[in-house]
Amino acid sequence: MLVVFALFIISKAGGLIYNREFHTGLSKLSSNDYLMLAGSFHGMHAITKQLCPAPPTPNVQPASAAGLAPSPFSSRPTGIEVLESSHFRAQCFQTLTGTKFLLFTEPQQPNIDSIMRKIYDLYADFVMKNPFYTVEMPIRCEKFDRGLDGFVKVRS
Amino acid sequence: MVLYSFYIFDRHTECIYSRRWTPRPTSSSGKTARPQSGSSITSGDGTVTNRRNMSHADDEKLIFGLVFSLRNMVQKLGGEDDTFLSYRTGEYKLHYYETPTRMKFVMLTDTKQNNLRPYLHQIWANLYVEYVVKNPLAPVEHPGGVGVANEMFERGLDTFITAVLPA
Repeated sequence: MLVVFALFIISKAGGLIYNREFHTGLSKLSSNDYLMLAGSFHGMHAITKQLCPAPPTPNVQPASAAGLAPSPFSSRPTGIEVLESSHFRAQCFQTLTGTKFLLFTEPQQPNIDSIMRKIYDLYADFVMKNPFYTVEMPIRCEKFDRGLDGFVKVRS
Repeated sequence: MVLYSFYIFDRHTECIYSRRWTPRPTSSSGKTARPQSGSSITSGDGTVTNRRNMSHADDEKLIFGLVFSLRNMVQKLGGEDDTFLSYRTGEYKLHYYETPTRMKFVMLTDTKQNNLRPYLHQIWANLYVEYVVKNPLAPVEHPGGVGVANEMFERGLDTFITAVLPA
């Protein structure tokens, strides 16, 4: 049994580019409120990166590896991945280009990672490969909508 | 388990108590060696240098603002009776407890820790109320943390943490 309340997609600039509700459970908000929530979540995500209490990464590049370019992916803190409240659980997945997928589910929902993966697949297939889609703009792709419906509703 | 820090904020947004523990070196070296997925190229440049310039007071303000906004976001989405419990990133987990008088208890631990809200509640009920609120010499409010970090409270916190959160 899969209960997914809603999916937000937030662009790398903090704008809400996709917003879909699958299951009632979260409060109904106006579209302005959703935009505000997406923007503030973007900011909070950046702050959680700053707050990383683990000691800053020492420069572990040994002299022999000096010729290699340092990887841009290691040693950078991730922001919020999971947020828990008493009524829901929000899973955030950030792509390498900075787009954030925010998925709201029931608190005890198992294997959200695979759901997120599947949604990212759908996004890559039907949004990014759509020649009429402009990046960073609101997503209006019927096939993406239908793909999400097929995936989320069939499993619930 | 690794405990990073603990904060108490009063209802006037002020941090009245904070405590930090240095993490054990074994866990931190393992953490930094692990490649992290999901981090972005576009943002976070120079976070390490920024961190060095930030004081502990800045950290406290950031944490307060963050839990305040997260709490508001949770209440907006989940309804008035919804409460924010915790969040987790790739590196740490933040646990949150708010008393009916709007005092906020925040604890930062490693990511494997289960929800510590019951423990934060106990710290409030058994330590803060006992040693700070019931102290006849302590002021009603605690501007700048006056009266919170007394000997009994500090010792009680140490004992509590070693007893219920074994390292």
